[in-house]
Order: sequence, then structure tokens, then C-alpha cells
Amino acid sequence: MPVLEGKELRIVGFLCNWCSYGGADTAGVARAGQPTDLRIIRVPCSGRIDPLFIVKALLGGADGVLVSGCHPRDCHYAAGNFYARRRLEVLKQFLPVLGIDERRFEYTWVSASEGQRWQQVVTVFTERIHQLGRAPRFDDAEPLLKLADMALTSLRPLGTGQTAALDELKDAIRAKLPELDCVIGWQQGYDAAHTVPLFIRKPEDVDKLVWGPFNVNNPAVYLPSFKGKKVGIVVKGCDSRSVVELLQENLIRREDVTIFALPCEGTLDMARVNEKLGRYQRIDSVSLDEAGATIVADGTEHRFCMTEYAQGKCYGCTTPAAVLADTRLGTPTPVQPGTVVPPELALLDSMSLEERMAFWRGQMERCLRCYACRNACPMCVCRDFCISDSRNPHWMSQEDSPREKLFFQTIHAMHLAGRCTGCGECQRACPVGIPILALRQQIARAVAQLFDGYRPGLDPAAVPPLLGYEVEEKNIHERDWK
Amino acid sequence: MRIGVFICHCGSNIGGTVDCARVAELSRAFPDVVYADDPMYTCAEPGQAAIEAAIHEHRLDGVVVASCTPRMHEPTFRRTVERAGLNRYMFEMANIREHVSWIGKDKEANTNKAAELVLMAVEKLRRNTPLTPKSFDITKKVLIIGGGVAGIQAALDCADGGVPVVLVEREATIGGKMAKLDKTFPTVDCSACILGPKMVDVAQHPNITLYAYAEVEDISGYVGNFSVKIRKKAAYVDWSKCTGCGACTEKCPARKTPDAFNELTGPTTAINIAFPQAIPKKAVINAAHCRQLSKGKCGVCAKVCPTGAIRYDMEDEIVTEEVGSIVAATGYDLMDWTVYSEYGGGKYPDVITSLQYERLLSASGPTGGHILRPSDGREPKSVVFIQCVGSRDKSVGRPYCSGFCCMYTAKQAVLTKDHIPDSQSWVFYMDIRAPGKMYDEFTRRAVEEYGTEYIRGRVSAIYPDGKGQYVVMGVDTLLGQPVEIKADLVVLAVGIEASKGASQLAEKLRISYDQYGFFMESHVKLKPVETNTAGVFLAGVCQGAKDIPASVAQGSAAAAKVLALFARDKLESDPQIAQVDMRRCVNCGKCIRCCPFGAIKEVEMRGEGKAQVIETVCQGCGLCTATCPQGAIQLSHATDNQILAEVNALCQC
Repeated sequence: MPVLEGKELRIVGFLCNWCSYGGADTAGVARAGQPTDLRIIRVPCSGRIDPLFIVKALLGGADGVLVSGCHPRDCHYAAGNFYARRRLEVLKQFLPVLGIDERRFEYTWVSASEGQRWQQVVTVFTERIHQLGRAPRFDDAEPLLKLADMALTSLRPLGTGQTAALDELKDAIRAKLPELDCVIGWQQGYDAAHTVPLFIRKPEDVDKLVWGPFNVNNPAVYLPSFKGKKVGIVVKGCDSRSVVELLQENLIRREDVTIFALPCEGTLDMARVNEKLGRYQRIDSVSLDEAGATIVADGTEHRFCMTEYAQGKCYGCTTPAAVLADTRLGTPTPVQPGTVVPPELALLDSMSLEERMAFWRGQMERCLRCYACRNACPMCVCRDFCISDSRNPHWMSQEDSPREKLFFQTIHAMHLAGRCTGCGECQRACPVGIPILALRQQIARAVAQLFDGYRPGLDPAAVPPLLGYEVEEKNIHERDWK
Repeated sequence: MRIGVFICHCGSNIGGTVDCARVAELSRAFPDVVYADDPMYTCAEPGQAAIEAAIHEHRLDGVVVASCTPRMHEPTFRRTVERAGLNRYMFEMANIREHVSWIGKDKEANTNKAAELVLMAVEKLRRNTPLTPKSFDITKKVLIIGGGVAGIQAALDCADGGVPVVLVEREATIGGKMAKLDKTFPTVDCSACILGPKMVDVAQHPNITLYAYAEVEDISGYVGNFSVKIRKKAAYVDWSKCTGCGACTEKCPARKTPDAFNELTGPTTAINIAFPQAIPKKAVINAAHCRQLSKGKCGVCAKVCPTGAIRYDMEDEIVTEEVGSIVAATGYDLMDWTVYSEYGGGKYPDVITSLQYERLLSASGPTGGHILRPSDGREPKSVVFIQCVGSRDKSVGRPYCSGFCCMYTAKQAVLTKDHIPDSQSWVFYMDIRAPGKMYDEFTRRAVEEYGTEYIRGRVSAIYPDGKGQYVVMGVDTLLGQPVEIKADLVVLAVGIEASKGASQLAEKLRISYDQYGFFMESHVKLKPVETNTAGVFLAGVCQGAKDIPASVAQGSAAAAKVLALFARDKLESDPQIAQVDMRRCVNCGKCIRCCPFGAIKEVEMRGEGKAQVIETVCQGCGLCTATCPQGAIQLSHATDNQILAEVNALCQC
């Protein structure tokens, strides 16, 4: 139903049954007058609230969303609100990257006895939403196309892995192969400038293994499908973080996996490489030196310096060596201390909220909804049971609209909160080159800021921040409602 | 689906600010709605009969009632639809009273809001499925926390009803605050004489297990099957050997130990039995003041103990009890009155609390029942009582009335005259609140028969006059003039607050408490004994200020609730619990990891690990549903699809 024009805005509330819904009742019994905009959805516990309900509401036309639960320590279900607090805070920090004003979403704690407090919360929040006015509608945004500046200063010298001990690695794999069903790596693809995954099952397959800046795929994506089998995997540093994350989530078993690692010096951004190569008939030669690759295609020479053509993630990479490995050969180049805001995220950071919404509106018009991003993601472990193409639960309609596509990207990003290692496979796999990695990067940044610099994929025994809680959160503070 | 919608007027409660007929008319256009009406009182007998009739006549398979909060009448209407042959979960409520008509003045906005709430309920109902509860066994044993008069009454009533009782008391003796009182109003009965026999009954009752000097450490489980860890604090005395003879207390050299039972009015010994009628009558060593335990040399009590009960190496012990129900009866403490600097802030020895005064009046107290000033041991001839010290005072964050202070102040004035016939008492009061049976008559007696001077007004300052007396400066607001009284002793009627640790216990019990720490009842008028956690009941002042008869009555009421609960052999489990779609589960274990109740386990299914919900353990919070990325675990009755339907009903621009 439409909102009362000129009188009301659309505000959705999610209230836990035991405290806040009772608090709203207490306010009602006391005839504590309130603005009429809010519509309350009763849920058993604030822990029941999937942050995606809130995104669904905000993308669907809500001007504000208010969540309220029991005070921390007073949860009817012992700990539901502790989990909710972390998830809702991450959401709050995520919304702006979509172009949604984070002030349109708030969460708080109101007990069943606090009728007056509820009256105040509703009044203050409704006033705030009226001050912000009607929320800009995603569907109404004028598409805006902007490109990220992909070349950044790297935290370490990037190279092409010329000195990598590939032959020793092959020997190590040959030695181990009899005990393994398969070893996953890379082989040359349709030409020397492209690689595809290699599944080594026989000793003679080992010779096909290649190493270098064209090894862009993350082989960890294949690991869960080998669950229960003995499998080897050759990893770059970033790939190894995905392996650690899969171990942490019990999706593979440590004793089943043998990890072979070489230090990585960087990989090429194949989207930009292909763009520069343009349409060609054949590759004449590919030569690598320490600084980059020279590709001759149809007689024309193209130079790809690693400082300019590396993948965005490589500039800020702090794990050139595998974080976990059984066979480790060679020494990685040292990493300077510091952080690099990845180029995709830097682009979003430079925009206003309106520009971001317009940006995603433009990008999502280009989305084919092919789900290559999902299928390439090593952490997308739901596989055939992704909620984006299920009817039960039915999170997404089949409507081919930019809004639904952005909602899918949000689902992916939220499901990766505290899990995404930033391998960038989603974005690399995107056939139309949408910088969707920025959404995952914003989630990762929020998680790191909130939870003491937590970075997924470093420790197989770590408790992921969104599956745990602290009774007193160091970096999450109750807001003032005065 | 065929849905019927009933928009309740609730007299003028809803009908006054919501156009109910219009809401019903709008509802007829909502999906699957085949019938809508706007009865005057839906919860009344004719209203419920109309729902049943409509279900039959219009072949409804789902009902929405828009009326008051579901926390009030959801069970009522679920029974109604069940009587008409529907599953009780094919019912939804829209709260258009507490959340609409009572808080908004604009009738147009209210009507529109009510219609939208009905639409949300209809959209949710369209996705409801019939649910069937399962039954489970209950442990017919009750835990009572707190051995004051309320807890004692609840324990005795439960035990007499044939239910085994576990009574946990934090102090070394049961009796609570009442055991410290000298006399009780309005009969001026001896407190120990009326409470003592009940305490003895507790000790002797075959159905009662008493853990004194013990605290509840942890509570898990749910109604019918709670598991409680109880910490038995180290008494350093083996109570199975201690006979309570008191030989140790006579010889103990640490004679300056603060006496908590006597409200610090006099010292006691490090090894101590709280008072002569203590139950259990067992000695406890105060470790902080015991020379053997703090300095390592003494051991006198061990030498004199005729049964060899002293155990300096004793440690706390944890015992576990399985119970089916819990009664919280944790009582109160006095607020910290020393925030009142105008009353000396605790500097003046002869400005004392009313509970300290009770100990001075009591024959078992430090003065043997003679009223003597703490400073010089002189008998006071002029006593000033000040009421509402920390009650009805927003400036110290205590806006509530402590309820029983008016009455005990009158009693103490009467007793003062009894003890010291040539004394004069003054009472500074704000209002006299004496609504109980024989209460007002009693306060009249204090004035008319005992000559107590009641002055309506507050005291602004107390200071010593340097000659052994205190000057009490106040104002008589009836005469409109300042008052100055020279007092030998000043007694403050200090306001009450929730017992120390009450909020931590509430967290263990998973019950709510208000901003002052008092436990929240389920409904302020109609469920004053129940809490929002099934199987947990309240008795006494832990729920709010009340005097002895009211505490006893609530103790009995809590016992009645326990006995009613245990009258059944099996309980029905709430079917609104999580369910796993085994096909979708990838066994990532996220739900298992975050379930607060350990209600999800990993099972093997056709060679693959899958999550499975333990139905009797699941409490239905839905945390797992919000955690599972593939939506494989769904909370029945609050599924993703149901909540999404409610969101979409509002947000489809």
C-alpha cells in the first residue's frame, strides 16, 4: 500500500517479541503518543533478523528501518542480541557503499518496561527520517559510469615469478601424487597468454603445470567438490587464504588436503590485458622478464608492466607466501608495512552517496545475472542451493531489474562478511567487468575496523567475528537517543 | 487460501481513533481474504462465537484478528480457531490498539496504518503452515531462590503439595529481612515468633532440600527441564558435624568482625552463627577476619569444637540439581542512603537506618533489646524518624514508593514509647500511605495513644549541636513554618532497591528486569506472578515493593503456579522451532556454532554430515535462520518467506 502522501514516510521496524515489542505495548498502554509512520514486524529475537531483510526494505522503498531488541545481557534467548549487534553494525557500515544513507537504519535496545524510552526512540527516529526526507529510489537514479584508476603503488615489488622453483615444485608433486586423487594447479589455456585450471591425476600431467603472472584463477574454488578425497592444491598466497577459510568452515578436512606453495610476485589483470590486446588472430610470443610480460600478437608487441597491469588486489597484498602449506619452496619478496585501499573501493570512496547509487544503477543495468561471480567465489559454498534461485526461501524475484541484481550482490557481500579473503575472483569472472569486488572490500574493511583488524583466511582455528560476540564490544557503542 | 479478517473496535479503545469499518472494507481487497467484519468486542464470548461461525459458514482456513497486542490475546484466539477445527497456528494478529489507536491521534493515518498492519498479517498468514506441538516429560521438582518469608512460603506450599523443593539461600541462614525485624505491624507480633516455626518447618520438611550459604551459579534448560548449578560457598565448617553448640563463637578471638546480620550495629566473631533461631543453625567462618585463614595462626575454633567440624581447607563446591520450575524470591536491599549529605552522609553514629533500629529493638540484637545510642550507649529520649529517604525521590533516581516504610515507622515509634516511656518521637513524612487491613487504624494509634508527633515536611539538615544531641532542621508544610528538633537519635526510613546481584540472576533466568533491578512480571495486572520465561515465577519484593502479608501471598501464589504446572505429566513443546531442509544443508556448522542452547547437532545422513534440530531443546529464537547462508534452517512461523512477505507488503514501490 502507498504511504499517506505528505503525511507519512515509510518506516519499517523489526522488534523482538520479548523486550522491545513489549516496550512498544507498554508505551501504548500508557497512551504515549508517537508519530504514526512506523510499521512493526514482530520477530522472536533480534538475532532472528537477517540484515538482508533490512536491505530488502531499504532497496524496496523504505525511508527508514528501525531494529530494537533486548538490552545486551538481557536477551530472552541468552545471546541473540549479541550476535545481532555485530551483524547490524556491519550492515550499518556497509549501507553507504550502496549509496544508502546509514542514518536511515538504526538499531537500539528497549526493554519491556521502557515505554517512555520507546516513545522517545520512535519520535527521534521518525523526526530524523522526516529530516532526511523521502529516500532516493534506486530505480529512479540516473545511471553514472565511472572507472577506477587501477594502478597503485604496491606494498612490495611486483614481478613475474622468474626465479620461482617450478621444477622443484613439480618434483614434489610427482613424489606426492601416488597418495593423492588429484592435484589442482594451472596449465596453458587456448594460447600462451592465458591459463586454465589443471587437474593433475597422472604423473605425465605434472609437466603441464605453469607458474607466473597469468595464473589468475583461485584453485581453492574446486576444493569443496573434492570433500572426502585426498587432494593436492598449488596455491598463491591469496589462494591459500581461501583454503584456510574453507578449513575453518569445516568444508574440507586438513588431513585430506596437501598444499604446495610458491611465493607469488603478482598476477595480471586479464581484463585490462585483453582490452589492450584487442581482437587478435594468434599470439606470436610471450616473454616474461622481472618487470612484466611482453606479448606479441599478430606481429604487434604489447608491453605489460606489473606495476601498471597487476590485479588491483596485488598492490596491497600482504601474503605473497602461503599462510598455510605442506610444501613451501622459495622465498617471497618482503612486504612494506602499511595498507592500500584497493582501487575499486577507492573509486567508491571518492563518490557521494547519490553518485554511488547512480553508479550501481548504471553498473547493474549491465549485469547479465549470469552468476559467474558466485560460481567463481571459493566461499560460495551453498552451490546448488543458493538462496538467489530458490523459492523456499524466496529472497529474490526473477524480475530482471537492476534493483534485484544489486540485491543479489548485497546478498553475496553480506554472506561473505568476515569470510571474504578478497581474492577477487567474483570481479575477475564478471564477463561485463563490473567492479563488484568493492562491495566485498567494504564489508571486509568494516569487519576489520570493528573486530580488531580481523582478516579472514589467516587462522584456521579463528572464530569468525560474525559467529561470535563479546559481552562488551570494544568498538560498538550504544547510541544516544536524547 | 480462504482468509477471514476481524477488525475489533474494542469499544472505543480502537474504534475511537480508527475507522474499523473502513479497515474491514479495505481488507476485503487483500489477497485470499474472503470475509471481513468489524465486531465490537472480538475477545468477548459473542465475538469468538462469530469467528467460529464465520469459519464454518465461509469455509475459512485462516483467520486474522486486528485488535490488541498478541502478547495479550493470541492464545485466546488460537483456542477459538482451534474450536472451529482449524490448526491454531493458522491465525495471525495485527496489533491496532497498543501500536495504533492508543498512540496516534490522526484518524486517517491510524486507519491507513491499521489496514497496512492487517495486510502484513494476511501476507504472513498466507505462508503459515499448520504446526503440531510435541509432548515431553517434566521433572517435578522446583528450585526456589531466596529463603526470605516469600521463598519460605513458596517452599512450604510446594512441599506440602508433594513437590520436592530445592531452596537456595545466599546467607548462612534463611529468614531474610523478616528475621531481622523485632516486631511486625499492625499487630506488633514478635517477628521471630511467627517466622521461627515456618523456618523450622523448612528444616524438617521431608520434601525440602535446603542449600544455605549457596548461590545459583548457572541455569540452563527450559520449562519442565532446567538444570541448575549451585555454588555451595565454603563455610570452613563441616555442617554435617556442626551441632550449632556455639562453643567456637565463645572462644573465637577475632571479636571485631563486622556483623552483617545485625546491620553492622555491633561486632561479632569471625566464626559465627547469625542468630539464635538460625536455620540451619550452623557456624560459618568469615574468611576475611579469621586469623587462621588470613594470617595462618590461631586455630582456636578447631581446638574447641567438640565434633571436629572445622575445615580450614574447605573450598566452594558446585552441585547440580535438575528441576522443572523455578521461583525467584530474592527480596531487596536498602539503597545507599549515604548519598544524602544533608543527613550527614553516614558521618554521624546516631543517624541510623530503620533496619539497624530493628536490631537495637530486638532481644537477639547487639544491645539485648535495649534501645541504646550507638555513639555513647545512652538511652535516647528524643527520637526523630525521617521517611522517604531514597523513596519517591527523583533526585537520587528512586522515583518509586518503597511501600512499607510508613507502617514500620509508626510501629517503631510505638515500640520506642513502649521501651522508653518518657521518650518523645517525631516523624517527618511526605504522605502517610496506610492502605492495608488495620493499617490506618494503627498509624492513628501511634499518634493518638503513643503521642507520636507527625510533621508533614522534609528535613533539610542534621548537624550535631556539640552537646551530644543532633539538631534536625525541617519544615512543617502544613503550618508553613520551619521546625527545629533536638534529637538523641535519628532513624531514617531508607528506601529499598532490588537485591544485590538481582540483574545478574535475571540474566541467568532469562527474565526481564526494570531499570531499578526489580524483576518484570508477565503482565502488570493479570500475570503478576508469571514471568515471560515459561516455568519461572516470582514471589516477594524481587518483583516490586510489598510488605510481609503481600510477600507471603505471592509466595503461595507462586507455589500454586508451580503445582498447576506439575499437575500435568507431560508438557507440550512450542512447535515454533527451527527445522532443517536436509537437502539444502551443506554442513558448514555455522548454526551449530551460534545456537545459544546447543539445540542443533550434526548427524550423518547417507554418508553426509547434516545439521539436525533437537526439538525439545530448541527455544525458537531463530538465530540459526538468520545465520544460515543457504536458508536451509528455517524457524517455523517466522520463516524467511513470512518475514519477507511482511517486508514486501510494505516496501514494493
